[in-house]
Amino acid sequence: MSGTLDDPEAIFTRALSAAAADEADAVLIVSDQNITRFANSAIHQNMSEISAELTLRVFAGGAMGVASTTSFGDDDIAHAASVAREAARHSVPIPGFAGLYKGGDDVSAAATFDAAVGGLPPAEKARSLRAVFDRGRELGIHFAGSYGNAATTVVCGNTHGVRRECRFTAAEATLIAIRGEESGYATAIDRHPIDVVALGEEAIGKATLHAGTHERIDGGAFDVILEPPAIAEVLEWMNMIAFSGQAYEDGSSFFAGNIGTQMLGSNFTLADDAVDPAFLPFPFDLEGLPKRRVELIERGIIRTPVVDKTWADRLHIAPTANAWALGSSEHGAALHLSVGAGDETREAMVRSTRRGIWVTRFNYVNGLLEPKTALMTGTTRDGTFLIRDGEVVARLPNLRWTQSMVDAFSNIRSLTPDRRRVGAWFNPFGGTLAPAMKIEGWQFDTANGQKVARS
Amino acid sequence: MRPTRQQFEDALAGLRGPSLRYADLRFTATVEEHVRVRNGEVDTLASTLDRALGVRVLAGNGWGFATTSDLGEESIRATARRALEVAAASNLTVTGAVVLSEVEPRVASWQSRFRIDPWSIPLARKIDHLLQATEAMRGDPRIHQAAGDIASYRQEKIFASTDGSFIEQTTTEMGGGIEALAIEGDEFQRRTYPNPFGGDFQAAGWEFIEGLDLEAKGRQIRDEALALLRAPKAPAGRFDLIVGSSQLALQVHESCGHPTELDRAMGLEISLAGGSFLQPAMLGKFRYGSDLVTIVADATVPGSIGSFAFDDDGVAAQRFPLIDRGVFVDYLTGRDTAPAIGRKSNGTVRAESAARIPIIRMTNINLEPGTTPLDEIIADTKHGIFIDTNKSWSIDDLRLNFQFGCEVAWEIENGRLGRMLKNPIYGGTTPEFWRSCDAVGDRASWQIWGLPNCGKGDPMQTMRVAHGAPVARFRGVEMM
Repeated sequence: MSGTLDDPEAIFTRALSAAAADEADAVLIVSDQNITRFANSAIHQNMSEISAELTLRVFAGGAMGVASTTSFGDDDIAHAASVAREAARHSVPIPGFAGLYKGGDDVSAAATFDAAVGGLPPAEKARSLRAVFDRGRELGIHFAGSYGNAATTVVCGNTHGVRRECRFTAAEATLIAIRGEESGYATAIDRHPIDVVALGEEAIGKATLHAGTHERIDGGAFDVILEPPAIAEVLEWMNMIAFSGQAYEDGSSFFAGNIGTQMLGSNFTLADDAVDPAFLPFPFDLEGLPKRRVELIERGIIRTPVVDKTWADRLHIAPTANAWALGSSEHGAALHLSVGAGDETREAMVRSTRRGIWVTRFNYVNGLLEPKTALMTGTTRDGTFLIRDGEVVARLPNLRWTQSMVDAFSNIRSLTPDRRRVGAWFNPFGGTLAPAMKIEGWQFDTANGQKVARS
Repeated sequence: MRPTRQQFEDALAGLRGPSLRYADLRFTATVEEHVRVRNGEVDTLASTLDRALGVRVLAGNGWGFATTSDLGEESIRATARRALEVAAASNLTVTGAVVLSEVEPRVASWQSRFRIDPWSIPLARKIDHLLQATEAMRGDPRIHQAAGDIASYRQEKIFASTDGSFIEQTTTEMGGGIEALAIEGDEFQRRTYPNPFGGDFQAAGWEFIEGLDLEAKGRQIRDEALALLRAPKAPAGRFDLIVGSSQLALQVHESCGHPTELDRAMGLEISLAGGSFLQPAMLGKFRYGSDLVTIVADATVPGSIGSFAFDDDGVAAQRFPLIDRGVFVDYLTGRDTAPAIGRKSNGTVRAESAARIPIIRMTNINLEPGTTPLDEIIADTKHGIFIDTNKSWSIDDLRLNFQFGCEVAWEIENGRLGRMLKNPIYGGTTPEFWRSCDAVGDRASWQIWGLPNCGKGDPMQTMRVAHGAPVARFRGVEMM
């Protein structure tokens, strides 16, 4: 860190002082982010970013205005405050809003920072990757992917004296092993260092499994075993179309009108859990409310959407501490999605499958087809396998599917006891923690999806 | 606050050393304002100011990039040192020589044009404009949401390189649109105008928002959203499909724009966005579409958000065909990728801001208009479906197998538009789809659509691109 970004607390204090409103809150995020991208087993993009962004929100007569800036001179902060006040003047009071969080609650003490991640030198990352690339060359495999490490400081609080600060780290890597038309995938994210070489071996395993043995299938309903990255991608979409305060309020979410209703399978529990030390802990949301475990879906019963405080007040529901952007029109997002584990191993899942498909990950999922049933489409990618009579027997081409997630999560046959963390490009605070999942009757489309080459 | 030219030159001079082959510095100051109203209330009033400096170096055969939002002198020097450190690390894995295509050094200044400065319009007027436009959509209890957006955007950019270029560019844009969300029981339908996801965008000022005539369109999209609640589901099967201009623009984006990005074809984006089925050996030979299909990349279209004067390699904006009468003839390229196919950069490398690495991005990727009026295409269609306005999009990692959902469709029987149909979904594979094109609408049906949200890269960069498209007809397309 250098220059004016050395003292985030001082910038934050000046911002709140400049607010000059009935109420105000602010968030300052200072990032030291390093991402190494590689393809064809060579680094081709390698970046280091040190940046900061301040967001200031003011309330005047219950009406809200928001402004943000990456420049922190007194004039810059005064200008941001002036723009926010101007916006609030032209806005209208938020119905039911009872004011900003007043504080008084303790936050989780789970460890969030590991100096070994924050200080990882670019050369050390490159040497780890070189070891992965060299191993791949022995097998005729090349790699594409990314390897990132970040140390971030978040300061937030408000004019009621609430102050929160958290330093946290994230190491994240994604590796795709490619040999000819066959590929395999592995990904990891952690607050602590990750073993990139082990990830490379995992990706190699997927790329070489049943190499050269290819089959094709007709479209239709299949039992599927979904690995955690596939589950994470559909849950990320459900965040937008089903879990957010906005989707709940406007009625487009299947949660609307169904709180307390058993809509999904009794073996499916989904929580927002930022206090689990084994996940990606983070102690508060950006309105300063302490994070706690919040069950969105408990054994298939719909419990609550996730909301920021303005929407909790408006909708008269208990705050869930899910403000991840001040003034966001989504009014809540679950950035620590934790799927409950089960008790069946992958091997047992495969053994009990007469005709099924094992999916490593999805590609380009879209969840906007029919939000009320969470109907989505996407393709499989980087390792799709045919299961026949209890055995994995062949590689399949990438397959297009179109499937209602309300139906899918009502038809979960089993879940693994082990869970994995999966990151997402839009989520610097958390990710998804999920087991592998066996689902009955997943709908694959007709054979046109099978012209995709890489499997 | 922006760095002076002397600061740029001093910083570039400080980078020079025995291993340095190339360096550039970029500065951007980006201001954005977003006004959203919803159900008669102001929902969002947000303003952002982002200043960033980026240093990109090629040392030996390793690239390094460092960026900061702290524009102090010491920070700039430290950022330059970090770029060199990162480049040294990159060199630990290099397997081949980086070759840059030649570029003529340029000193230039450019601004996009507008008539009424977006920031000269008071917030209150923007809010009132949206409240009036959305009021017409309200009243029916089945309308759960009547919303509207107006967005303003300006980016100042300075580019300086060790090749001797010093280029200043400023782009000003506005966008806006409205949406009606209707719900009845478990049925959910949304209609938008003129485009979903915030509306349409142009490199223009307030005059563009006034020209959208949002208030007049509000009642129409409300009625269509309500009608869709009780409309029959679009049928499954193979149909002759007439695709409206806005949906066809997205089809061009996903199935032509992205697969013609050379970095994708070279495998450089496989880890996130994916690759491309269009491989260099197919250049000049591959039958991508029918003879009626000509798609150009044109970064010089006045008033479009995909336009500029110079890309972020300092290469001048250009117009060139990607698909010429159905044949794949060129890629979108940059200085470090074009030599791989024996060509010079055609100037399509851009970054979201100076805080991000420039990569190949679409400019204005346009399907050229044909000669047939829309009413003649409809009259010539015995049994088909007219489909428009995107709702959902998905395409595989090689850009072959796609599926699109749209907001609305109408059946066509014996050359006439018939009933409205809900939830239309079509799919296929890219070359088969474009080869089935047998009618391309004339210039009257052609429109350029601004898409300010094209995602690519890691960290994800959201780029402002555009697509011109007429209506067009495709034979025997699979509906789901």
